[in-house]
Amino acid sequence: MPEPSAATLIEESEETSSTTAPEHQEVRTGRSPGQVAWARLKRDKVAIICFAIILFFLLVAIFAPFLVSLEAVDPITGAKADPSTVHTELVDFNGLPTVGASSAHWLGVEPRLGRDLFARWAYGARPSLIIGFVAAFASTVVGVALGLIGGYLGGASDKVISWVIDFFLSLPILLLVLAIIPIMQKRIAAGGDLTPEETSTIRFWVLIVILVVFGWMGLARLVRGEVKSLREREFVQAARAIGVPTRSILFREILPNLVGPIIVSASIAVPAYITYEATLSYLGAGLVEPTASWGRTIADAQNLFATYPLWLWPSVIGLSLLVLALSLLGDSIRDAFDPTSRR
Amino acid sequence: MLTYILRRLALALSVIMATLVSAFLLFFAGPADPAQAMCPETKCNPARLEAITKSIGLDKPLIEQFLTYFKGLFVGRDFVYAGDTVHCGAPCLGFSFVTRRSVNEELFTRFPNTVVLALMAAVVFVTVGVTLGIIAAVRRGSATDRGLVGASQVLGSIPYYVLALLVALYPVILWNVLPQYSSISAGVGPYFMGMLAPALILGLVTASSYVRYTRNSMIETLSMDYIRTARSKGIHERTVLFKHGFRAAMSPIATILGLDIAALLTGTLITEQIFGVDGIGRRGLAALRSFDLPVIMGTVLIGAVVVVVMNLVVDIAYSFIDPRVRLS
Repeated sequence: MPEPSAATLIEESEETSSTTAPEHQEVRTGRSPGQVAWARLKRDKVAIICFAIILFFLLVAIFAPFLVSLEAVDPITGAKADPSTVHTELVDFNGLPTVGASSAHWLGVEPRLGRDLFARWAYGARPSLIIGFVAAFASTVVGVALGLIGGYLGGASDKVISWVIDFFLSLPILLLVLAIIPIMQKRIAAGGDLTPEETSTIRFWVLIVILVVFGWMGLARLVRGEVKSLREREFVQAARAIGVPTRSILFREILPNLVGPIIVSASIAVPAYITYEATLSYLGAGLVEPTASWGRTIADAQNLFATYPLWLWPSVIGLSLLVLALSLLGDSIRDAFDPTSRR
Repeated sequence: MLTYILRRLALALSVIMATLVSAFLLFFAGPADPAQAMCPETKCNPARLEAITKSIGLDKPLIEQFLTYFKGLFVGRDFVYAGDTVHCGAPCLGFSFVTRRSVNEELFTRFPNTVVLALMAAVVFVTVGVTLGIIAAVRRGSATDRGLVGASQVLGSIPYYVLALLVALYPVILWNVLPQYSSISAGVGPYFMGMLAPALILGLVTASSYVRYTRNSMIETLSMDYIRTARSKGIHERTVLFKHGFRAAMSPIATILGLDIAALLTGTLITEQIFGVDGIGRRGLAALRSFDLPVIMGTVLIGAVVVVVMNLVVDIAYSFIDPRVRLS
């Protein structure tokens, strides 16, 4: 059972005295740390602005086909824009676009391939968001599971799990990930001739798996430490004494006490994975063509950054703003769960 | 104390061994054929491919390949190359499949560039981060404090490679405010000037977390009873801040510093790639493109050893500073 700590009680009484009239104080009931955090988060202006920005990008990603269909029909090609069709008739023999930003191409077209840049940008929000949320969810599940097992069982399984955590934490992860992704890709796609789309889809899932494999340790260590101290507490010992099965002790008694740290860690993981994906795509081990990805666009556009900034900047701004908003929201969530923080 | 050090040492060794074995299995037993990498596809006939496979020992059983590699690490080994026998002294990391030079030479000649970059960045983030953190802590709650914390949060949240790339593209390449990287052979002055831009951006971004660490540590220390005692005795405020507060606040920072320098030595890869600094991270990245396995292995191993050794040093040093660690 989540027990409100002394600090939470103080916090609560302060809040009540500042927000409600004195006569309501007698009917005050206890609130869980989650409810307290939610109440604090709702009053945090930075968190609300960040949430609005994240919502904006979520909507762009979900309604990307609709947004792209709002662009006018191109007078030269006579077709509506889409993220993957190559239009070499829109670029000159140097590869530079012959058309600028217009009603048909809100951000112009891509040098060399002539693809519509707005469509690439809108669709590019999708892999970032999917990878960020899926990888954060999966690594949270893995981290919590291993942390619970190690911390609660102790003994040999704990030793093995702690050793594996130490082992993974001391690897030069970026370099290893860069090396493993193409190897895994080859192993999965061995022999067969794949279309670029299939290669791209395989790469997408390989990327998520690798991010989870190398991303669960921090939370596992945190959960393990917390569980180790919680299992000695009276309420857990009481549950054990009256014969509550281990699974119920883990999920009913111990896990609810860890909701705060788990939510905080998951919310910080989302921007971290998006950054990781973009970095890997930039270094050439992330997403591959024809998937539209902000990281890849930045890598491609840097060569023409001075002559054609419209290629580089939308992705730079999109990526930076999304990751910034997610990180600051994560910070706000952490502060909301931390009874000692006062900004 | 001795058992503690021995236990940590055993852990460190086991981690390095595990890295060695798993990296070897991953790279050498992986489906990527290194012989193919050395044999350009357009003019590669099966006979030549086989000759290359034989010459780099890829036809031998896996366990034998591993033992040869392992032996090379500790006692060195000999290579037969174009009829000559080349000795590669311990720790021998093998020969590059692509450039045909020893991996030790490939990596250790580049390592100083990585070290210089990491240390210059460390100077930036320690001075800037700690100074601003103290200012924020002393003026807690003021506009300065909020501005510093907010700026550090924003700087630390934007993807690092985007910031580094923008610095490389605009001030360095387009506006020429800061010079581009040039190797040490072009002169010591230009070399350090060229390191300035990558070290500054790497240092400033890392500093953003130090501002917050230092601020929190300092605030915690300044709320201690002994600080109040010192103040009530009428000791000058500056003495209280620096002699009584700063010293105590710095011990957790010192721990993180050791780990961060280790992380920088393996993590300057992005910075090196973007600014064209010829360090081991960039070499490793180039090796990845050509599936040059011995070089990739060497880079991963050096990285793992640096991190493990720094972890060990920090842990042991910390157990001297804080006796509670040893007892647990």
